[in-house]
Amino acid sequence: MLARAAENLYWMARYLERAENTARLINSTTHVLLDLPLGATFGWANLIEIAGLDNLFQQNYPEANEEAIMRFLIEDTRNPSSILSCVQYARENTRTLREVLPAEMWESINSQYLYLRDNAAIACRSRRDRYVVLNNVIEQRHAIIGLVAGSMGHDIAYQIIKLGRNLERADMTTRILDLNSAVQFPKDSVLHEALMERIWMSTLNSLSAYQTYRRLVSMHVRSDEVVAFLLRDMRFPRSVEHCLGEMESCFTLMPKSQQLQQLAAQLRQRIARNHTNGLGAAALHEYLDRLQAELGGLHDALTQQYFHAYHDGAPPGEKPRTEIEFAE
Amino acid sequence: MELASSEYAAHTAYDELLNRELLPRPAAQPLFDYLDSLDEGELAARRQAVDATIMAMGITFTIYSDSGNIDRAWPFDPIPRVMARSEWEKIQAGLKQRLSALNLFINDLYNEQRIIKDGVFPAEVLEGSGNFRPQCVGITPRFGVWAHICGTDLVRDRDGTVYVLEDNLRVPSGVSYMLENRQIMKRIFPEVFRTTNILPIDDYPTQLYQTLAALSPRPGDQPVIAVLTPGIYNSAYFEHSYLAQQMGAYLVEGSDLLVGSDDVVYMKSISGLQRVDVIYRRIDDGFLDPEVFNPDSTLGVRGLMRAWRNGKVGIANAPGAGVADDKVVYAFVPQIIRYYLNEEPILANVPSYLCMYDDQRDYVLNNLDKLVVKPANESGGYGMLIGPRATAEERAQFAELIRANPRNYMAQPTLDISTAPTLVDGQLAPRHLDLRPFVLQSDQLYATTGGLTRVALRKGSLVVNSSQGGGSKDTWIVEDSRIVEDTR
Repeated sequence: MLARAAENLYWMARYLERAENTARLINSTTHVLLDLPLGATFGWANLIEIAGLDNLFQQNYPEANEEAIMRFLIEDTRNPSSILSCVQYARENTRTLREVLPAEMWESINSQYLYLRDNAAIACRSRRDRYVVLNNVIEQRHAIIGLVAGSMGHDIAYQIIKLGRNLERADMTTRILDLNSAVQFPKDSVLHEALMERIWMSTLNSLSAYQTYRRLVSMHVRSDEVVAFLLRDMRFPRSVEHCLGEMESCFTLMPKSQQLQQLAAQLRQRIARNHTNGLGAAALHEYLDRLQAELGGLHDALTQQYFHAYHDGAPPGEKPRTEIEFAE
Repeated sequence: MELASSEYAAHTAYDELLNRELLPRPAAQPLFDYLDSLDEGELAARRQAVDATIMAMGITFTIYSDSGNIDRAWPFDPIPRVMARSEWEKIQAGLKQRLSALNLFINDLYNEQRIIKDGVFPAEVLEGSGNFRPQCVGITPRFGVWAHICGTDLVRDRDGTVYVLEDNLRVPSGVSYMLENRQIMKRIFPEVFRTTNILPIDDYPTQLYQTLAALSPRPGDQPVIAVLTPGIYNSAYFEHSYLAQQMGAYLVEGSDLLVGSDDVVYMKSISGLQRVDVIYRRIDDGFLDPEVFNPDSTLGVRGLMRAWRNGKVGIANAPGAGVADDKVVYAFVPQIIRYYLNEEPILANVPSYLCMYDDQRDYVLNNLDKLVVKPANESGGYGMLIGPRATAEERAQFAELIRANPRNYMAQPTLDISTAPTLVDGQLAPRHLDLRPFVLQSDQLYATTGGLTRVALRKGSLVVNSSQGGGSKDTWIVEDSRIVEDTR
């Protein structure tokens, strides 16, 4: 497979996954907002920080309020990670990949783009429309995954799609987990514990994980258990460890992949060994930040191995997320 | 379905679907029966469905403009152009005859030049050719074939005669739209395919693949075929990716390829360098190889000509094939056919006056108001003078151009190009059209079933180019036996 095509394919998969997860992040946030008692506030600025987009946001918006943030995350094409941007990039990449993808793929992504282009503005205006439009984004994404799984040859191109999807998914799961640090409670709230439970429930719901969690882990939603579940439960397809496991098995089917396979395995094992129980909000936030940086390292290694062996300088098609400053 | 009667009353051209009494021709009868069965609202709804389908299928072309490149939806008219199989087969034979003669001609020009020595083709025409590549002299590609893919433009005059307007031998485009047009029709009007026996067209990608595979320097193996595109900003990018997809070929850009010191062409794959056997190039000669042609080209591949000359890679169309894609050479095609094949041309050439000859030039200069004047080496309808529609001033300017460079101009009488009913504001109005079939040659010859019908959507306009207000129609070649049955 052509290195340039492989790179475009990888980014296409990441953009699509990012669009879906941003939709999930927003839906989850909206749920959290609805459950907040009077007096509790939501740190909008934190949400943008979690998404790793705070610098870009501040350059373009004077104030971090709900409306501005929704526009920024949903329809603002100055934000390369907004849902509309992601779908647009995915569409552009798909256009260059028609020969390696199932014939229906282009049409499917093109339709998703046309839908979003026409409805993104509505989604920013009201919470009710937002839910409908974003759910549609998630559903269309399911259709695309189904198309890939069911009608694409399980060849190298397929492995690359899976690699992009799982890397992005692992990254986004850590970000959605981090959402809770954005809620600030009124001091000495008696409601604190009950409220925490509601918020973690929203987190699980946003990842379609609530039902699985209840069945596999516990009827009670406790923060330690939710964090452990979303980071380390191999049975849940959006957990970080599961995603890394998927990447490991993709690498076994890729050429010249021994080092990458090792890298993914080491990271996965490290996560499996780490205990996150009892971490306070700040410590958890720091831990998740570090994980994101390590996933970034895996991305760099993969990119170097498969896409840039013959290139130097900025590769085409790459629109990286604003880099997170990681302080040890 | 209503005809725009005022437009048809003033109508003098041949209509592809209607006879002089404005009744359907036999081949079009089932189509009109079908259209009559749809009520007005139904047709309008289908028309909208067509537009929605084109958007969803993402069938676009790119227009270059100052405000950036815009992808436009492909303008499509849902009323097909219909032709009887018996008539088409004669045209098909003529297309194959023409391409095989042109390939013999090109190969002769780059080798012995017998046709010049025998006094059939003037040396001065060759000397003035902008598309003759000295770098190709002495080469005989596989099967002696240079132009593997040809798009031939056909038009029909008032008396019903079909003429060849030009042979596009460089990088002809449009075949993907021909294929997509049929897909649209099948989605939107599935019923009509039951009542009319329309010949399928979808074997083109397979035929193209076989044509290209035959050029592989490693016969026997499954060849690696790549479509070489200038990139996403090219107006035909949609087609490049479409054809790569349909053939299961790689879609590559110049920067994806390199030529090794072994003269083999490689592409940069994720697991290292992989050999490429055949390149279907969609970039012009001048950009192919900065080592040999335009040194500033970033679209091509350094060393590609070396690889091709040494037989390490097949290239379609071969570099230099454009020498026969020249309006002056065009005028000689009937003689070229007689010379190489010893046959009479099956398809008519439009009578042409060559300005390089004194007497013909005088005729042209004295009759500019009746003639169409074309530059030899341009394509896409650029740099032309349509005499009857030009102002006296424009004609005077053109006369100067002709006197300054007579070899570069030829002229033809204006044809009354045929029309077909086209959906305009809910009525069927006559619009001018042409037809571009695609002809393939390597170890065998193939011509498409029908081709791409391009239609000038503006009233009275003769310009069918999509960049200038043209659209397209599906082209049906229908079984005659079925027509007889249906018209009884």
